[in-house]
Amino acid sequence: AATARSSGRASGQIRKRIGSYFSFAGVGCNSVEKKIYVHLNYTVPCVRLLNATHQIGCQSHLSGNVGVLHVLESEENVDWVLRSGPNPPYLVILESPLFTRSIMMKLKNGSSRVAGVAVVAPSANPLEGVSPHTTCPNENTGVYTENYDPSLAHCNVTVWNPLGSGLSYEQFDFPIFSLKDDNDTQVIRQCYMDHNRAVNGSTPQYPLCAMQLYSHMSAVTDTATCMRRNDINFSISPEMVCDPLGDYNVWASTRPINNTAKGHKMWESVVIAAARLDSRSFFFEVAPGAESGVSGFVTLLAAAHALRNATQEAPPNRTILYTFFQGETFDYIGSSRMVYDMQNNNFAVDLDNVHSVLEIGQVGLRADSRLWLHSDPVSRKNDSVNVRKLIESLQTAAKGLNVSVNEPGFSQPLPPSSFQRFLRARPIPGVVIEDHQSAFTNRFYESMYDNAEYLNISYPPNLTPEEQLVFVTDTAKVLLLIANIHHVHVLLNQLYKASPRLPSDSLFNMFSVPQVTRMLYGFLIRSNNSWFQQRIPPDFMSHLTDRPTNFYVGVAQQRSELTHLVQYLLANLTGSTANISQDNCQNQREDEKDKESKHMYSYVWVQGAAPPNSTKREGFCVRSTVRLSKALSPAFDLRDYTSKNYSTWTESRWKSIKGRIFLVASHDLEVNFPFTPQRQHMECRFNLHLCFMNFLRFLLTMNWLCTHCRKSGKLDAGIHCSFLE
Amino acid sequence: MNLERLPNEEKLSLCRKYYLGGFAFLPFLWLVNVVWFFKEAFVKPVYSEQLQIKTYVKRSALGLLLWVTVLTTWITIFQHYRAEWGEVGDYLSFTIPLGIP
Repeated sequence: AATARSSGRASGQIRKRIGSYFSFAGVGCNSVEKKIYVHLNYTVPCVRLLNATHQIGCQSHLSGNVGVLHVLESEENVDWVLRSGPNPPYLVILESPLFTRSIMMKLKNGSSRVAGVAVVAPSANPLEGVSPHTTCPNENTGVYTENYDPSLAHCNVTVWNPLGSGLSYEQFDFPIFSLKDDNDTQVIRQCYMDHNRAVNGSTPQYPLCAMQLYSHMSAVTDTATCMRRNDINFSISPEMVCDPLGDYNVWASTRPINNTAKGHKMWESVVIAAARLDSRSFFFEVAPGAESGVSGFVTLLAAAHALRNATQEAPPNRTILYTFFQGETFDYIGSSRMVYDMQNNNFAVDLDNVHSVLEIGQVGLRADSRLWLHSDPVSRKNDSVNVRKLIESLQTAAKGLNVSVNEPGFSQPLPPSSFQRFLRARPIPGVVIEDHQSAFTNRFYESMYDNAEYLNISYPPNLTPEEQLVFVTDTAKVLLLIANIHHVHVLLNQLYKASPRLPSDSLFNMFSVPQVTRMLYGFLIRSNNSWFQQRIPPDFMSHLTDRPTNFYVGVAQQRSELTHLVQYLLANLTGSTANISQDNCQNQREDEKDKESKHMYSYVWVQGAAPPNSTKREGFCVRSTVRLSKALSPAFDLRDYTSKNYSTWTESRWKSIKGRIFLVASHDLEVNFPFTPQRQHMECRFNLHLCFMNFLRFLLTMNWLCTHCRKSGKLDAGIHCSFLE
Repeated sequence: MNLERLPNEEKLSLCRKYYLGGFAFLPFLWLVNVVWFFKEAFVKPVYSEQLQIKTYVKRSALGLLLWVTVLTTWITIFQHYRAEWGEVGDYLSFTIPLGIP
């Protein structure tokens, strides 16, 4: 405004200059950005999760964290980053052997000088075990609390995950991303070598290579706070900041149970065969879960399939309920919800109907070819809880199959398992089958290395995906053996009570190793394969990917690919083909007038295979007893967000997650606009210049008006001109 | 508006209007009063209505000072302790920042 007080000539000059500036600003924006920044293609962040008392995970500033790149060479080099480096804050690049608890804790304590961390994920698993999970998983929501038995609480007897570093449950104030070890990462390393590396003891000069990571999380403090902020009505812009974790449990029964009539069912005695579906790792949506999840539920799927053929001839007098629980990693979301529903008459059966529980835990490794049967020492003391019989029949079943099955041999609590939530409600006999006697044999529990390579699922090179699909790996044989045991045990108990003779040969003929092979391939290597494709409905085709399935449970609103896959596979493996039209099938009825079948059965139209001469698939309808039941923690229905009994895990929401690298000039040359509106992304700084320029133009116009009008005497010098002066 | 052209009685009535208006929880009217009439009240040579105008300006200044103190204290306390107040803090806020307590 000071310069605007003027004679006509000066204002004309200014006007011309501003005009040209305007035209330049509009055109040059995007291509300049491309020349400055290199965007990262593969960004896997660590996100913030909250529970009743804590927040864990990572947080960045709203406008991203900028740091000068530094590739960490060793643990001693951390001191350079934290104390002596001349250009803080630094963005530390870690190779995976250095991603340990001690280094991360040091970086966390010096977080004013650390802008972020990027971990380069290796292409092969490390040699020694790494587990970011806690040493005692789910210690507060299992059955071993102070009330139940203080001497067994908090892993006093056995530390289940001794390699656990607890990194997944720490809170960091800077973003931590995971990078693949590929060409993009090589570009980053080269940038560091060229610009940032200190040569012969001299400090590197500007311009330096820098990286900016965006992973701003909206939720903060704990679940109660973020759920409260979700619900606030009168603020200007109501924003959801977090979502509860959850999904759906998948369950099926050998005999149809009326699902519409909830609550206790007379004369129904049910054996629950349980397995866990989900897994996690330090980073978001990276959860290969091979040994911790897949080994268990694939075995149960195989056993369910084998039992279908057997039970069709002679239905057992006890119904078997196959249950696949989701969300067990996060304080037993799925199993706590099922028990809660059973207690509140919201499920097809009741806790009184449950006779026993048999759970398949981590069984993929079998280091010394032995399986262990874990049971709860406290409830066994009660005579009415007959675990002895269960264990004996399992051992008999295993004898004929050349597998050694034992109890741990000393009084030990149950490992972390869904069965613990059933015990919390009432004492029920139950056994958990695992491949470890005391501590886990899984050296990568809940880590990104718990993948197909760890289970030794390897194929000879040069096999096409189709050939890999049918190649029988050793692991498949192992899991099948376990499925055998389970199957035979059940048969012994339920079918052959009267006549204990055991036609073992015919049982073997019913099993098919290819089933397990294909399932392992689909879940651990690639879910987009022909075997899966034949067993899913047509509209699910686009959800299959060329990567391994992700086993992270995710937020409750999104049903994960895994739950759908298990649902359809279970339907195909335990159900039967029904001669129904597609329209009737999709409307859950046998024919137009049928209204009763949907209570007992569920129908799914699968796309099937294409016959050899044509490309169009021939679909068919599968009738089964497979159902989904909601796996959302009861704490959210009860609105008790500080609950100690139920899982309270939520995942924060975020706006954008990305990263980019660029060369940064010295601090003096950086222009930091202090005003950053939250809802606009001012990618292009020229926008702000446009704003100022417009304001300047307005002032100029007013000034011209006033001088003109005053000279001509038309306008009385009113308020406008005095203001300008 | 240019005060120079107004007769003194109108100046006085304008000052009084702004002074009285400020009592309706409008401290900015008092601020305008003080700034606008400062010259009239203290710098110009004496005229008959100037004494009245002087009192109005002084009282406006006093009220303004009171408001400034109260508001500054409340704003400081709120900005500092809102995070610790938890639920109460959230219900008092119009916009809650994302990602920080």
